[in-house]
Amino acid sequence: MEQTLGIYIHVPFCEHKCYYCDFYSIVAGAHADFAGVVSSYLVSLRKEALLYQSQWAGHYFNSLFLGGGTPTILPAEDLAELVTFFRTELPLSPQAEITVEANPNTLSYEGLKLLGAAGVNRISLGAQAFQDSLLRSLGRLHSADQIISSVKRIRRAGIGNVNLDLMFGLPGQTMGDWVDTLEQALALEPEHFSCYSLILEEGTPFADWERAGLLKLPSHDLQAEMFETAIRILTAAGYVHYEISNFSRPGRQSRHNLLYWYNQPFLGLGPGATGYLGRTRYTNAPDVWGYIHDIGEGKLPTRSSISVTLEEEMDETMMVGMRLLAGVSEESFRLRYGVSYFDVYPEQIADLMARGLVEHTDGHLRVTKRGLFLENLVSGAFLR
Amino acid sequence: MSQKNIRNFCIIAHIDHGKSTLADRILEYTGALSDREMADQVLDSMDLERERGITIKLQAVRLNYKAADGEEYVLNLIDTPGHVDFSYEVSRSLAACEGALLVIDASQGIEAQTLANLYLALDHDLEVIPVINKIDLPNADPERVKQELEESIGFSGDEAVLVSARTGQGIVDVLEAIVQRIPAPKGDPDAPARAMIFDSHYDQYRGAVAYARVVDGTIRKGDIIRMMSSGREFEVDELGVFRPAMVSVAALGPGDVGCVIASMKDVRDTRVGDTITVAARPAKEPLSGYRPAKPMVFCGLYPVINEEYLDLRDALQKLQLNDASLTFEAESSVALGFGYRCGFLGLLHLEIVQERLEREFDLDLITTAPSVVYQVVKKDGTVLEVDNPAALPDPTEIDHIKEPYVRASVMVPDDFVGAVMDLCQDRRGIFLNMQYVTPERAHLEYELPLAEILMDFFDRLKSRTKGYASLDYEFIGYREAQVVKLDILLNGNPVDALSCIIHADKAQVRGRSLVEKLKEVIPRQQFEVPIQAAIGHKIIARETVRALRKDVLAKCYGGDVSRKRKLLEKQKEGKKRMKSLGNVDVPQEAFMAILKVD
Repeated sequence: MEQTLGIYIHVPFCEHKCYYCDFYSIVAGAHADFAGVVSSYLVSLRKEALLYQSQWAGHYFNSLFLGGGTPTILPAEDLAELVTFFRTELPLSPQAEITVEANPNTLSYEGLKLLGAAGVNRISLGAQAFQDSLLRSLGRLHSADQIISSVKRIRRAGIGNVNLDLMFGLPGQTMGDWVDTLEQALALEPEHFSCYSLILEEGTPFADWERAGLLKLPSHDLQAEMFETAIRILTAAGYVHYEISNFSRPGRQSRHNLLYWYNQPFLGLGPGATGYLGRTRYTNAPDVWGYIHDIGEGKLPTRSSISVTLEEEMDETMMVGMRLLAGVSEESFRLRYGVSYFDVYPEQIADLMARGLVEHTDGHLRVTKRGLFLENLVSGAFLR
Repeated sequence: MSQKNIRNFCIIAHIDHGKSTLADRILEYTGALSDREMADQVLDSMDLERERGITIKLQAVRLNYKAADGEEYVLNLIDTPGHVDFSYEVSRSLAACEGALLVIDASQGIEAQTLANLYLALDHDLEVIPVINKIDLPNADPERVKQELEESIGFSGDEAVLVSARTGQGIVDVLEAIVQRIPAPKGDPDAPARAMIFDSHYDQYRGAVAYARVVDGTIRKGDIIRMMSSGREFEVDELGVFRPAMVSVAALGPGDVGCVIASMKDVRDTRVGDTITVAARPAKEPLSGYRPAKPMVFCGLYPVINEEYLDLRDALQKLQLNDASLTFEAESSVALGFGYRCGFLGLLHLEIVQERLEREFDLDLITTAPSVVYQVVKKDGTVLEVDNPAALPDPTEIDHIKEPYVRASVMVPDDFVGAVMDLCQDRRGIFLNMQYVTPERAHLEYELPLAEILMDFFDRLKSRTKGYASLDYEFIGYREAQVVKLDILLNGNPVDALSCIIHADKAQVRGRSLVEKLKEVIPRQQFEVPIQAAIGHKIIARETVRALRKDVLAKCYGGDVSRKRKLLEKQKEGKKRMKSLGNVDVPQEAFMAILKVD
């Protein structure tokens, strides 16, 4: 059967590591032969995509997403060539969403023109906050002004679909800061917002500082109020709250992210990337050198690979699907698995309903307002 | 070996005054161990004992010593436990001896347990040899200790032997003093056999092994022996002495100390203090002093994971094979599910059992607040023994309640006398006596409710005196007390495992600190959870755990579904480890917390 797939490419390079980030990346200035590593990496990505040819042959890709790291730290020519390669050598649909993640201080007008010409039609900009002091305390290298000028530059270069990543629950962040961030961001009229709450991850400076008692994190209640505030302000401005962290202009949902929430297969490429193909989840070698080495030997650079049973896939389909405010369609679930979720999870659903966390309307099981805020309890319930 | 060349002795000391090190040096000197075999502190065989520096089980070692008088002697060293909880076991091992080495740290001087042990030794008519240890340490002051000996105990200073168990200095003097001063055993070799059990342990292959001191007559391999308290009979498979490894012997005669192996099922067949006789020619009267161990402190032990209930039972049964004073019976709690009500000799005994269950049997346990045994006198005149708050009758049926009291003895440097008095006063103590053993050190005596000692008394005593105070206590009887049952309610429902029986004057303060502590450890739930402390229907304190407002992974993990899954599974796992009471999830810390509040 013909399937639509996505491609995620991990670009593991940064100018500087943000203090909260635990995604794999190496810092450009820290390596003598950085240019050499980058060029081997770019060659390896192409080879890796072709190693999977037998699995994607006969299917279409409707999304290509370059994430990181900071993809735009690479020369725009290289990025543009890479995108062109994927558009010409892989079966990318002509309407495919092609997204590049970027930091505000890494975008030139010329670079954006090149990307646009290569087919990039969406930029996801890591704005995070509009207070320079907060940006500094996160380890970001850009200012609030640079966010504003970047968005204008993207528009001028003709790329018509912009996402802003914003963060709340930051150390030292007040409700005033957050409202200010939302308002300044709204003024830029992006098509899409991702609002993430800070999560402390092991191995990051933030986690260490928190253990040492150095972070002044907003209280549990304030974080909840920040989330509520984002929903209130963004929906009032006409954005659709379609996933826990995501808001868009009608029709401008991120196709790539939806693919994750629908638990669809996707090809993951690059060091540390994860992918999901043929009901197997795999994770690549997390370091760029190991990755390049494996590809050089003509083999897949995967380090772990888990095959997912049908039951597990059902659980995961519910786990990620319930993050969508539209919920999970009973009909689609039945078409996919030949059974209703009411028959697979009768007690779980009854319990969640009794606790007021989910409801079933218009053929969809979805979170209530309360369930949205306590979504972990909902998703967790479907893991058997 | 003829009786006149046998010396049976024990070593008694305050904790950490060097009892085990002295035993090691004596073993080493008499050649019972080569240096190579010598692990430090051989007599403390369990890891736990070694870590805590206390001796839980006593053992006996036979040593050969050629004295200055040219004769060969057999010295039986009987090890004794060093803590008040095991005072009955101490008294039985003392009864197996004719003499005792009283070890005193040359810098610490006489402590509470030094005195308690000394009085116990004198009660058993033992010849006591004071040994001042650690004289090699820079802050050693043996002259001051001698003075303490004279003033508080009435020894003359030159009776004391000065040693350093660490370096071996003075060990020969100790051995000579044992030979010369401790009397030989006086038993009748021709009388019917009588041997006193002073310890026992359970061996996986041999069953219960009794450690006994033969007083009269002889026990031989193959004899049918009889336990005089129960009348149960067993055939002797093997007799042994310890050097310190066990060596089989054909017979144990008067004055001998050794072990008896006779296919006994568990240590309840070998009760400490019981008399063994030979069935073919039984003794008429048992040796005096036997009494069954009586638990003084009770608590509930519950597995964190309900399914481990049977494992807990197996583990308790295994420990009981080796510990006749441990009692347990099944109970169930609405809050905690199935568990066991366990009885202990004291708080230390409780802690040791709890730790062994967790360490040796890998069980995760929730312990409920320890309770003493109350005597509840009902209006109809009947008396109920209650060791569990849940078993307290309705207040309308109660005439009055009595609680156990102890006489506590505290040794403390002069500077801290006030602090100790404040603490005892605060714990409803009745002052009895204060005596200065030296100008710098006082000996205080108080009568205290045992229940007050269970509530973190020892830790507080230590912290208020910078660790200098030492404590010993003995049970003196029951007294009427104004106690009430304090209940804790979560979301309006009483949680049985959090109830306690407490003195009426203290209920308010304790209720308040309990609800405050619980507020800290109970995580936010989907709904607001009121926490209340109540006496009967009267609410005396209240706190609220506010509702959980946000529990959501508002983060982009890209397509890494496995990672998301793991996070949620971990969260679910954490929830599973909590006890669900009604619709409130309570972490095990909540049940622990109540052991640590005022």
